[in-house]
Amino acid sequence: MNSAELLQFVASGLQNGAVYALVALGFTLVYASTGIINFAQGEFFMLGGMLAVAGVRAGLPLPFAALASVVLTASIGLLFERVALRPRRDSGPTVLIIITIGGSMVMKSLARHAFGPNELSLPPFSPGVPIVFAGASIDRQVLWIWGLTIVAVVALTFLYSKTKLGRAMRACSLSHDAARLMGIDTARVVMISFGLAAALGALGGVAVAPLTQTAFDVGSRAGLKGFAAAILGGLGNPIAAVVGGLVLGLLESLSVAFISSTYKDAISLVVLLAVLFLRPQGLLGKSRREKV
Amino acid sequence: MKMRGRLLTVVVVLALGSALVAGCAQGKRGASDGTSAKPYRIGAVLSLTGTYAGLGTPEQNAIKLEAARINAAGGINGRLIEVFYEDDGTDPAKAVAAAARLIEQEDVLAIIGATGTGQTMAIRSEIARAGVPQVSMAGGSVVTDDFDPLVFQTPWPNRIVVPFTLKALKARGLTKIALISDTSGYGTDGHDIIVKEAAAAGIEVVAEQTLNPGDTDMTAQLTKIKGAAPDAILMWNAGKEAAIVAKNMQQLGMKTPLVGSPGNGRKEFIEGAGAAAEGFRFAAGKVLVPAAYGTDSEPYKVANDFITRYTKAYGTPPDIFAGHAYDAFLVVVDALGRVEGDVTPGSLRDAIEKTSGLVGIGGTFSYSATDHNGLTMEELVLYRVADKTWVLDQ
Repeated sequence: MNSAELLQFVASGLQNGAVYALVALGFTLVYASTGIINFAQGEFFMLGGMLAVAGVRAGLPLPFAALASVVLTASIGLLFERVALRPRRDSGPTVLIIITIGGSMVMKSLARHAFGPNELSLPPFSPGVPIVFAGASIDRQVLWIWGLTIVAVVALTFLYSKTKLGRAMRACSLSHDAARLMGIDTARVVMISFGLAAALGALGGVAVAPLTQTAFDVGSRAGLKGFAAAILGGLGNPIAAVVGGLVLGLLESLSVAFISSTYKDAISLVVLLAVLFLRPQGLLGKSRREKV
Repeated sequence: MKMRGRLLTVVVVLALGSALVAGCAQGKRGASDGTSAKPYRIGAVLSLTGTYAGLGTPEQNAIKLEAARINAAGGINGRLIEVFYEDDGTDPAKAVAAAARLIEQEDVLAIIGATGTGQTMAIRSEIARAGVPQVSMAGGSVVTDDFDPLVFQTPWPNRIVVPFTLKALKARGLTKIALISDTSGYGTDGHDIIVKEAAAAGIEVVAEQTLNPGDTDMTAQLTKIKGAAPDAILMWNAGKEAAIVAKNMQQLGMKTPLVGSPGNGRKEFIEGAGAAAEGFRFAAGKVLVPAAYGTDSEPYKVANDFITRYTKAYGTPPDIFAGHAYDAFLVVVDALGRVEGDVTPGSLRDAIEKTSGLVGIGGTFSYSATDHNGLTMEELVLYRVADKTWVLDQ
């Protein structure tokens, strides 16, 4: 294998990895503010792509359709939290998690009825020939995916560390009760984290749709991969989610390169399990010890 | 409070009860006008969601269209045909549940389905248990090679399509091929037959790669293939991943000809792959370019009639999958008309096996006690994508 081929495998891994990372960021955000896993996260990814296609078909210019899709999906995320989850917020995490599973089924079925069963295409953001870098060719859309992932991570890090809302979110992740006693509107923080998670999922869905097409049923796979990435990196902080996503993507493409394409998913899952045995808190997660 | 609760329960029960009675009365009335006898009940297990949703939906469209046409003309033997549809979600386990429901609850005479090879094989145990004939719309060879007296098949199986495709490759001087197939039942079936048949056809397989249904990037597999420097890439799958393979090849600057399976004869592939679809070749039956039947022939008239009615009803011409469903329904209906004496699943199966010279969309069907597919290579042509549509590749 020459260096150009190796670089091509790495590029392929980072391309998938960046998409996994965007979905994983959504898992991390919701987990940080509520302590639950939102299994509807993959459907936000699906809605992002589908609504953008619907926008373009309705005659909106592509950038506007993409933006509108992200905003609309974020609103759906807010609404989902407000209508489906908040009324049962005192029922404990198990009930809430099951509600998110139900929500994902509803969104998927509605999307099938609204958009049909077939795959739909979105035009590329900036059409043109692929960019060749040291022998590896990279589609222009991949640069958009990488760029948007970086922007999302920088924006989230800024939000977490510099803004009042971010501090409120971090406070919620440590202790809901303490945060509420400090005068933080925890219900609002939870709702916003769902909106942000939905926006991030949608961003991934919009960015990847020109490469892969999209369909009403792409959400479950995206959710699964994003969840694996979030666990691999360590639930809780945005950087860990991104690292988890990129590592998972690279594992898959390097499995194809050095072992076999048939077993690439199995190999990445075995590595995920191995990491969880050795470091249950994930690659970058901080271990939480109960202090007595 | 408690009193009021009980009152409410009574009211609800009464309301439900009266609705039920009304419903039954309605049902009786519906059956008594039109024809006097009970309708024939046929089940259909289709992939209306999941990876094969794009195949199952035109299949359902075709069956609905044909059932409505036959019922409007008075049905078969003076009895209407009632079709019960079940979605298997492209999941073998759900297909089993769907078949069980159709057999136990709807008491169907025959099952049309499933859409996919994996689902078709999965429902065999249910079929065998009830002794109900099954007409599958899946193209895996295993459906009829792994012979079951109850199971029939309407598409061209891989054991016919693969040698045809390999012959076409050889005729074009493309003798070193790389194979990329998906891990579904259909892709695996195709992969095994290609590997087995290649040497006899004078073709060398220089690389073998797989992809999983749902994968979104194949540049890794294609980079491996690029290293093997094949004359052509042969792709065997039937999902949306085909368009990604074509686009990834373009991204990697690969000019190697891409040849696919009948499963890629979908307009979503052309839309999804865009410019990368140009020059893509695949073998399939003649329905995509009906002139291939020969314009004066009986098959041409049958296909043209179906295409006209389907296009009018759904605004888009039928694809090969709609054709497979048309054929499956036709096979069952034709046999229903030929059954002598009581129509039971057993007598219907015997009648289906005696199908002879039945002109459908995918070809002319003649079943026998040893051949439950009844098609030959003669039904296939090679297509090429040119200017966003299919043309015959002479």
